[in-house]
Amino acid sequence: MKAVLKKYTLTVVSIVSIAATVLWLFGLGWTLQDQFSANKKVSQLKEKTESTSTEKQGGTLTIFALGDSLTRGTGDADGKGYTGYLTERLKEKTDQEINLLNTAIKGETSRGLLKQLQQSEIQRQAKQADVIVMTIGGNDLFQQGAALENLDNNAINGKKQIYISNVKKIYTQLRELNPEAVIYHVGLYNPFSNMPDSKTTSSIVRNWNFQSAETAAGFDNIVYVPTFDLFQLQVENYLYTDQFHPNTEGYKLIAERVASLIKFEQEENES
Amino acid sequence: MINLVRNEMLKLLRKKRLYVIILIIAFLVPLFTYAQFKEIQDQREKMGNQDWRTTLQQEITDTQNRLSSSRIQDEWRKFLKIRLSQQQYYLENDIDPRAPGAPTFMRIFVENSIDLLLPLLVMVIVADLVSSESSGGTIKLLLTRPVKRWRILLSKYLAMLLSISFIVLSVAVLSYGISGVVFGYGGWNMPLLTGFTVSGDELLTENVHIVPQWQYILMEFGLVWYVCMIVGTLTFMLSVLLRSTAAVMGIMLASLIAGAILANMVSSWESAKYFFMVNLNLTNYVSGMATPIEGMSLGFSMSVLAVWGIAGFIVAFVTFSKRDIY
Repeated sequence: MKAVLKKYTLTVVSIVSIAATVLWLFGLGWTLQDQFSANKKVSQLKEKTESTSTEKQGGTLTIFALGDSLTRGTGDADGKGYTGYLTERLKEKTDQEINLLNTAIKGETSRGLLKQLQQSEIQRQAKQADVIVMTIGGNDLFQQGAALENLDNNAINGKKQIYISNVKKIYTQLRELNPEAVIYHVGLYNPFSNMPDSKTTSSIVRNWNFQSAETAAGFDNIVYVPTFDLFQLQVENYLYTDQFHPNTEGYKLIAERVASLIKFEQEENES
Repeated sequence: MINLVRNEMLKLLRKKRLYVIILIIAFLVPLFTYAQFKEIQDQREKMGNQDWRTTLQQEITDTQNRLSSSRIQDEWRKFLKIRLSQQQYYLENDIDPRAPGAPTFMRIFVENSIDLLLPLLVMVIVADLVSSESSGGTIKLLLTRPVKRWRILLSKYLAMLLSISFIVLSVAVLSYGISGVVFGYGGWNMPLLTGFTVSGDELLTENVHIVPQWQYILMEFGLVWYVCMIVGTLTFMLSVLLRSTAAVMGIMLASLIAGAILANMVSSWESAKYFFMVNLNLTNYVSGMATPIEGMSLGFSMSVLAVWGIAGFIVAFVTFSKRDIY
């Protein structure tokens, strides 16, 4: 009896194995054929379906965040950044579900952001947004967190010109994609305000902010949110150890300020 | 000849090794399924119930952020860059490479087990195929029959081939069957991209084309089978050369693990690409991952493996026919 059973398993296993061998050999052959003669099949690709939903999700508030390390949250112990705390604050205030899409990239300059905005997925998300928050310009001015190397007015003016023209394009693009969402552009603070030369650096940052705010004023529903004052007096308490990015406390300050602005807008919508 | 192979298959089944291997796989698959399931759940929780595009975009920005850090290793940077452009490409073509489903799980599972787990399982079967006969003394009985030596060895080799096919098949069946309970059994027709070529840290996409997932999986399993056969042949050779099964296992184990380690650190030692163990990750070429060493390609890796395999095969047969048995 046992021998019969053994024989039976043996046959089954053998047949299955032989069939499997054939199958795998076929797969291997197909791989070779597919990978080494791929040249002719190039054009198959572009049957892109435009099924991507760009409709706003009802019931949820979508915050679309873009920009540089500040939006990303560099320096925050929890890694949330002001966008994270902003979401938390808003959640306390409303029953609406809040959806945060953060596409910020550390070290992003206005030029990089403009390029990022050409990507179709970023555009799709921008279209979906109810609120747009962004930070940009810090890397244009401060050279990736290094101190202001060059306090020379001409050099800074040059940078500013490029920055302003980029920001204009960014605003235009965002407005084109999404005419309704309010854009909150969080402004710059001076991380060097407790250092020598602080008079000069502060005036540079103030001027930079002023010009940005002017630009923002040229568009509908773009709010340039000042942060300069938040960091003016106790800058060392609100900065991360790199002496450039805000720490958790600093981010909370920024979040509070933005949150208070968003609240009003929502009440308007609800009434 | 058929009877000889039958005889060898019977011996294999008697040893119950195949069952042990199936048990191992049946134990591991639920483990990975659970891990994968947790990951998906975690992602859902973090991101809300979102479109996969948003998730993928998030991943892309995360990668971009990591790339912008200056304290990143060159190799890792290259890997991330290639991954990044690939994800971007998937996104642009509106294809979700990770839509959950049993076939997707199968694909990810074999891609991750081709270079270590599956070769190890093969090794368990093959290591004592010949050496146990010499250490147990049964080899004399075997060779007293009026059959040419090479035929005996060939019958063993064919038995090995069959059992490798069987192992690969059980991996396929078990991973599909078990993970499907959680992820569902659909998704065979999902489109996937293949044909990426990597040059330096650029990802070339001119040969990229779409294949349905079932074809993709079949192709990957073909490669898995090929890799297992080569590892099997080499183990087989060692099994002929050495009397002690433990030594066979030790050598194979060491070289396989060395391969896994080397693949992570050899990028500047170019001639290391001629080792068989650095070339085991064939599925990476289909999915378009960075190669451990510059200048490796599917054709290259398959030829290197073939050379090792053929050499092993010849050494095994020559030694076995010439050797004195006492």
